[in-house]
Amino acid sequence: MRAPGLALRGLIWVGLGVLVFWVPSLTEPLAYNATIGAYFAVVGLSMNILVGYTGQLSLGQQGFFGLGALVAANVANTGVNPAEPLTFAFSLICTVLIGAAFALILGLVALRITGLYLALLTLVFGVAVTSSIFGIGAFNGNDAGLKANRPDFLVGGMRFYLFCVAILALVFYIDRRLVASKAGRAMLATKENERAAEAFGINVVGTKLLAFSLSGAVAGLAGGLAVFLPQTFSQKDYVGAIGFNLALTFVVIAVVGGLGNRVGVVVASVFFGLLPYLLDSFFNWAGWHDFYTNRKNFLPGLIGAVLLLDTVVRRPNGLGFITTPISRWLTGHRFTFHGDEAGGEVAADVRA
Amino acid sequence: MSHAVLASSFDSTTQFVTPLINGLFDGAAYGLLALGLVLLYKSNRIFNFAQGEFATVAGIVAYMGSTGYGYMPKLPYWLCFPIAVLASVVVAMLSQLLVIRPMFDRPRVVVVVGTVGIALFLIGLEGFFFPTTGVIEKFTTHLGLSSAPGTIDRVQLPWTGIVTLAALVLLALLSFLFFRYSPTGTAILAISQDSTAARTVGISVQRISLITWGLAGLLGGVAGVLIAQNKPMVPGAVTGLALTGAFAAAVLGGMTSLPGAFVGGVLLGLFQDFVNADYNLVPGLEKVASPADFMFVLLILVVLLIRPRGLLGKEA
Repeated sequence: MRAPGLALRGLIWVGLGVLVFWVPSLTEPLAYNATIGAYFAVVGLSMNILVGYTGQLSLGQQGFFGLGALVAANVANTGVNPAEPLTFAFSLICTVLIGAAFALILGLVALRITGLYLALLTLVFGVAVTSSIFGIGAFNGNDAGLKANRPDFLVGGMRFYLFCVAILALVFYIDRRLVASKAGRAMLATKENERAAEAFGINVVGTKLLAFSLSGAVAGLAGGLAVFLPQTFSQKDYVGAIGFNLALTFVVIAVVGGLGNRVGVVVASVFFGLLPYLLDSFFNWAGWHDFYTNRKNFLPGLIGAVLLLDTVVRRPNGLGFITTPISRWLTGHRFTFHGDEAGGEVAADVRA
Repeated sequence: MSHAVLASSFDSTTQFVTPLINGLFDGAAYGLLALGLVLLYKSNRIFNFAQGEFATVAGIVAYMGSTGYGYMPKLPYWLCFPIAVLASVVVAMLSQLLVIRPMFDRPRVVVVVGTVGIALFLIGLEGFFFPTTGVIEKFTTHLGLSSAPGTIDRVQLPWTGIVTLAALVLLALLSFLFFRYSPTGTAILAISQDSTAARTVGISVQRISLITWGLAGLLGGVAGVLIAQNKPMVPGAVTGLALTGAFAAAVLGGMTSLPGAFVGGVLLGLFQDFVNADYNLVPGLEKVASPADFMFVLLILVVLLIRPRGLLGKEA
């Protein structure tokens, strides 16, 4: 590699480091919203396992995410005190287990149903879980919500942000290892063509169940992180139209990021996690308060929809078309738009 | 709870007649939306998540037309309805031209994600241009009719409900006849069975698809203006109010059966209102946040697992 290229790459790596590790520490709202970006990225990666690698469209990811939040809040249930570090760790482990367990149940049901009906089933699952379990008083603090304070060592906004980034990095690494493993290749083969995969001796049923439970586990973990950010659990954030909106946001993230494309999904997640904050800041700066107040709830959705439609109609790889060459270049290879593309088609070819 | 207590606390008006009447009329709205879903599933084999928003667009246009929204001229009341339905037909056709047509040879799951995108986009646009809206004047009020033409056992029969039910019956019948007897309807079915074979006999797949989407828009639009007389057409209104119900109705009746959408819709409406009238019918239901939605969801689940082709469908 020649020296100028090396210097430029180094500069960009340093810039990325500054953006991730220093910029959020500037103000408390920045750290707060950057944390949202981080746990959105964890959910995005969980969508990626299910939709991107295995080709099973999930419209109910808010179910696992919400369950994670619910379980973490119930296990920690701190009242006014900060959580004990062990309780905190245990609550996060519980989110992983409960997410995996519910996803396994959904996966078992999904084995009977393929293709489009599966999408409908996941939608139904998300609504069913949130509108039933979340309404039970014993789980939601009798509708008043639950406290889930962070342990002492994570009280600062920036510290919790770094903790979430660390979790994200861990999930990212696991995801990377997964694709390189036999199970990961089985998922990709299942997505491409179930019958052909089966003919090559792949256990399609087991692969699907693995994908479902991994995805549920990761989404549950993200929910656990999400509840420790505002440090309260309110079931209203996951039920009804708000919950459905969340599910659609996750679909938008997975598709716009480019299904099967890890880096693209993380970039898209961070973007959508930060979008409300960015819009708030922009319109405050521009001073268009009257225009913005009424439209506040609709603008992120509109932007997401435009990006989603552009992705499905024109570029099946989503953000992958730009993140793949850039990340390839940053890791020392030549910059080219061609070469081995990650991702490919947006979702599995379903000939059901 | 013992049987005697149940019997003594049973009030025939609130627990039988009211849910029966309201269920029939609520079910008509679900049925109208389900009809559009079935139409597109029958012809293109896709679920259209944007169907609810085709309806909301019509509702909002009707509201804008009849009130002027502050800066537009008020349209004559009766002119609003055809314009509103036309608007949702145009929106549906534009969706086909701009989103569905370029995805012609893509997997159907991707096309379904596309319809989710259309729905989100329409909600966003509605929110952007008309963030605050309300209920339109009921045409019965406009005509000076009393709110109810009659009562059964002290329960009023609402005009809007009767008209919705009549519209559902009429449209279900018309679409059934359309598929059975008209050349275009037959062509739609031919394409859904084998699009390559249909093309070899000279059927234009794209033209037929455009017509189908226009029809789905028409059905959605009619549903929209009827729902708009009872419910405020906030952005995303019909998706939030009735899309789960419409899917439940369509799945229950059978995704490929137009009469099924009608039957499913009415059954579902009855089911919803009977459950809402008396939570004791299902133990523990009073704890659930949105009982009706939850029951729909269970219903879809049970139908999908036990009989995926629904009551009247021929195939899943």
